[in-house]
Amino acid sequence: MAVAEVRVTLKKGVADPEGRNTLKALELLGFEGIREVRSVKVFEIEMGGRKTEIERRVEEMCRKLLANPVIHNYSIVVK
Amino acid sequence: MKVSDARVCVLRIEGTNCEEESYRCFKRLGAKPEKVHLKQLTGTDVTSDERRSLSDYQLLVFPGGFSAGDYVRAGAIFAARLRSRLSKDLVEFVREGKPVLGICNGFQILVEAGLLPAMSGVMSEAPEAVLGTNDSARFECRPTLLKNVNRGNCVFTSRIPGDRICQIPSAHAEGKLMFPLDSANRIIKELEENDQIVFKYVDPDGELAGYPWCPNGSIASIAGLCSPEGNVFGLMPHPERVFFRYTHPDWTRHPDGNGDGRAVFESVLEYISKKI
Amino acid sequence: MPTARLYIPQDVPFELSEIDLAGASDDDLIEISRDSGTALSLDEMRRIKEHFVRRGRNPTDVELQSIGQAWSEHCCYKSSKAFLKEYVFSITNRHVIDRGDAGVMEFDRDHAYALRIESHNHPSAVEPYGGAATGIGGILRDVLCMGARPIALVDPLFFGPLDYPFPRLPEGIKHPKYLLGGVVAGIRDYGNRVGVPTVSGGLWFDESYIGNCLVNVGCVGIAEKSNVRRNAVRGPGDVLVLVGGRTGRDGIHGVTFASAVLTKESETESRGAVQLGDPIMKEPVMHAVLEANERNLVNGMKDLGGGGLSCVVGEIALAGGCGADVDLSRVPLKEEGLAPWEIWISESQERMMLSVSPRNLEKVLHIFKLWDVPATPVGKIVREKRVRLFFEDVKVFDLELDFLTEGPEYCRPCEADAAGKRRKEKLPKTRSRYDGTLLGLLSDHNICDRDWVIRQYDHEVGANTILKPLHGKTGHWSHGDAAVLKPVEESFRGLAIATASNPFAVGVDPYRGGKACVDEVCRNLAAVGARPHSLTDCLNFGNPEKPDRLWQFRETIRGIGEVARELNLPIPSGNVSFYNESPTGPVLPTPAILGCGIVRDIRKCVTSDLKREGNPIFLVGPTKAEMGSSAYFRKTGSYSPRIPNVDTSALRAGLDIVVGGIERGAVVACHDISDGGLAVALAEMCIGGDLGANVNLEGMGRLRSDAKLFAEGTSRWLVEVRKGKERQLPRDRATKVMKMGHVEGHSLRLVSGRTLIDVCLDRMARRFNEPIWRVVG
Repeated sequence: MAVAEVRVTLKKGVADPEGRNTLKALELLGFEGIREVRSVKVFEIEMGGRKTEIERRVEEMCRKLLANPVIHNYSIVVK
Repeated sequence: MKVSDARVCVLRIEGTNCEEESYRCFKRLGAKPEKVHLKQLTGTDVTSDERRSLSDYQLLVFPGGFSAGDYVRAGAIFAARLRSRLSKDLVEFVREGKPVLGICNGFQILVEAGLLPAMSGVMSEAPEAVLGTNDSARFECRPTLLKNVNRGNCVFTSRIPGDRICQIPSAHAEGKLMFPLDSANRIIKELEENDQIVFKYVDPDGELAGYPWCPNGSIASIAGLCSPEGNVFGLMPHPERVFFRYTHPDWTRHPDGNGDGRAVFESVLEYISKKI
Repeated sequence: MPTARLYIPQDVPFELSEIDLAGASDDDLIEISRDSGTALSLDEMRRIKEHFVRRGRNPTDVELQSIGQAWSEHCCYKSSKAFLKEYVFSITNRHVIDRGDAGVMEFDRDHAYALRIESHNHPSAVEPYGGAATGIGGILRDVLCMGARPIALVDPLFFGPLDYPFPRLPEGIKHPKYLLGGVVAGIRDYGNRVGVPTVSGGLWFDESYIGNCLVNVGCVGIAEKSNVRRNAVRGPGDVLVLVGGRTGRDGIHGVTFASAVLTKESETESRGAVQLGDPIMKEPVMHAVLEANERNLVNGMKDLGGGGLSCVVGEIALAGGCGADVDLSRVPLKEEGLAPWEIWISESQERMMLSVSPRNLEKVLHIFKLWDVPATPVGKIVREKRVRLFFEDVKVFDLELDFLTEGPEYCRPCEADAAGKRRKEKLPKTRSRYDGTLLGLLSDHNICDRDWVIRQYDHEVGANTILKPLHGKTGHWSHGDAAVLKPVEESFRGLAIATASNPFAVGVDPYRGGKACVDEVCRNLAAVGARPHSLTDCLNFGNPEKPDRLWQFRETIRGIGEVARELNLPIPSGNVSFYNESPTGPVLPTPAILGCGIVRDIRKCVTSDLKREGNPIFLVGPTKAEMGSSAYFRKTGSYSPRIPNVDTSALRAGLDIVVGGIERGAVVACHDISDGGLAVALAEMCIGGDLGANVNLEGMGRLRSDAKLFAEGTSRWLVEVRKGKERQLPRDRATKVMKMGHVEGHSLRLVSGRTLIDVCLDRMARRFNEPIWRVVG
């Protein structure tokens, strides 16, 4: 079994309300000196097969479901 | 076709939760709505009695809710399941001019499935827009005011006068309409030219609104869009929640008349009775 | 483990031990109770030992664990039952249909409604998001298993002060801001996802909740009478079908966790006792359960809550006068390797037990399959009142239900704490003007605007919410007193839902405080035009093994029961939560009451916001100088043991006047007088309506000015009457009805001989709207 880690991040310039509001919440809880908080979504997909095959299928999963190209970039690492 | 013969498919999967009130709006107006599980259309785990075909219906409705928990992204899982099993039927349904309505989560599904804004064909290969997390990063359940800016293309708003401000409430966490940053301006212009923008959020004076009257930070304060042909319509606010006057937030001040959402359902049934 | 010698492993291919109780000393028994996590007392352990000695065998670990669950405070109410029987259970009338996991009341000729409220305090203190979410899940199932469709959620919440200094926070305790954010998010993400509107609730802040916040959740449902089910099997031959989520190690010993005091280690030790909810399992479970039930395929159902399978099987079987044989190896698991005792007591979420006739089994399983919800026949009902469990064909459990379910019942010592009585009365200094006092009260966290919370909850999914939690002119809002739902499509009859609690009054005088809570919930219901119809209560108290805490409990329910009985208001369900203590001490004694009322025609309902300039404003109810525990006294550091009493004849008369006036169309706005007194109530009406008022308080008699403005006496309302309809407002000699002034201008003016308050509307609205946003933004 291999694990494919998919990181879905917001494209540069796209507003990140979750990150911004988390930053605010952390400040309200008394944490100082934070410059920025960015939200990232990670999926770990456990599956069998050859590495190149896994990469191809996970790439397809990203296109079909895991990311929306309008706002998302994604990266895939197979471990 | 007579309204009383119009069959309405109110489509649901796990996590859909506004189907009952959507169903009732059509029932009250004399149409024949039915709550249908997606598996009844795809033929999975169902008996022959329960099997349905999309072509049996004149109107398809995606009600609000949190389909499949909205865990990946609002509407994305429902949309992916639709595309993998029903895309041919759907494309045909839309090509025939039959109307499709998506409310709230339904709008998110239509966008994720590529059925809206559908600027490159009935069902675009990849999503052309996204309904992202509200600027406030919170779920926002609040009264919203909508102005009908459509010039006549959308078949769901023909009975709503252009200058009319409708009070149709919103309740969502992911309703911020966004387009790719580099082409957003061009797309907005194109949508306007195609007469695809239907509702915009306004304040009580009728001016384009920022937060909280626009609860999510949508581009150009857009609350609802239709396809270039006008028969696919999605909006974040909930017209089915204001079918009657007495579910308006301030109805005790103005108790008379219909609810502002009713005209959406009347418009589309009128379209069906005239055109299908 | 010093008692290891007493555990005799059995020669089977899975984990199973016999416990040698016969050979155990008292010290051993205490030790066994501790290391098995059952939290049974020595006396209880002795009783179990005697039982098995008499039967000539030792219990298995499955049996001992099961008894621990069944006899926990949470499951058998051993400390509270005697009092509940005396003061609460005996109130009844012909509208009560059932008292099961939820109470069931008649709504109209063909329909019934179900109601219940319960606590989810300890899990929420440790893991606020998951704890609160699973609380919602549990309460939904309580209503669902009566055959009712959940239509409204309610959540009274109690936290430490939001501005509590971080350095003073005891070790292991989370800041109230974090807890509030987590709990609200948990309720929001779960409640919104399952599509049930959250329509009422409340937020209370006090230092006593720092170490032990209270998270209460209530639910109301509706059913056609023919679809109402009991939590009982029909008879021998019924198949027990376990539906919903899989069973795992989450939530093991949740009930014993709920029945002990929180310590600073609770966080790390108790995570296992916090279950994880899955609303997207629950939503289809609700669909499938309702569909199977409405097609008349289900004989009875019950929720798997505290104690999991171990409680539900015995209770559902016994309620039908039967027993059950269960095959534990058929229970679908989340992970491999669970021991039989773990499967038996696990509290994994989203599970229900259905009792189904064999001929309907296939149809039921098909419905669940369509919704992708696991449904598994796990046992069958037998005539003899005993439960036998099998695991891989080995019998691991065999107990008579009479023994298992007849938990101990205690009359623990119960006595007032003498210290409270000695406190001296301290009155605030009188002032010439009270503008600043009013603004201070409006921005007090216990009074100010809660829209930050309310708007995160979907309060109108279902499209049946006629009156929402916030009332007001477009763009303006203030709090409503009760929400109103229209649950039946063909009818204009409405169900009003209100929440009330007054821990501050109960803390000073539990008997009068308990009465005041019932008065408040009735006021709230009447204020929208509803006649109070039933109550359900969640009683949050400290350690009942301490006599003063138990005394507070008894006095509170004596007060609650007394007013409810006088008004003929049944309490067909409820929940007791003890052990709400932490190293910082007990919480204020906190009864949270959910009240339901009937609205004859929802088109007559009124909201709390002022409607029209020139309309007269009336005060209904007598004002007395009872100021103890009032928000004004707390704010000014004053104290008085004199808590407002309830005169039930005045309450009843007031209810008739207000509801009568609303039904006749004379009243156009109404608000009950509670926290902050008359001045705050009127200010809220002004803020919601964006209109001012000019009111003269001289008619209230010879009282201190501050009492006129801020006393929180019971059975009082402010009503705005349609001009020219004054005579339509009913009168009654049992209470006072007094015209006080008019809706007027853009400021609030309160005069009594001289001007006491004159504040402009915008200033009040700002002070009222902003405080919570400022802290938790």
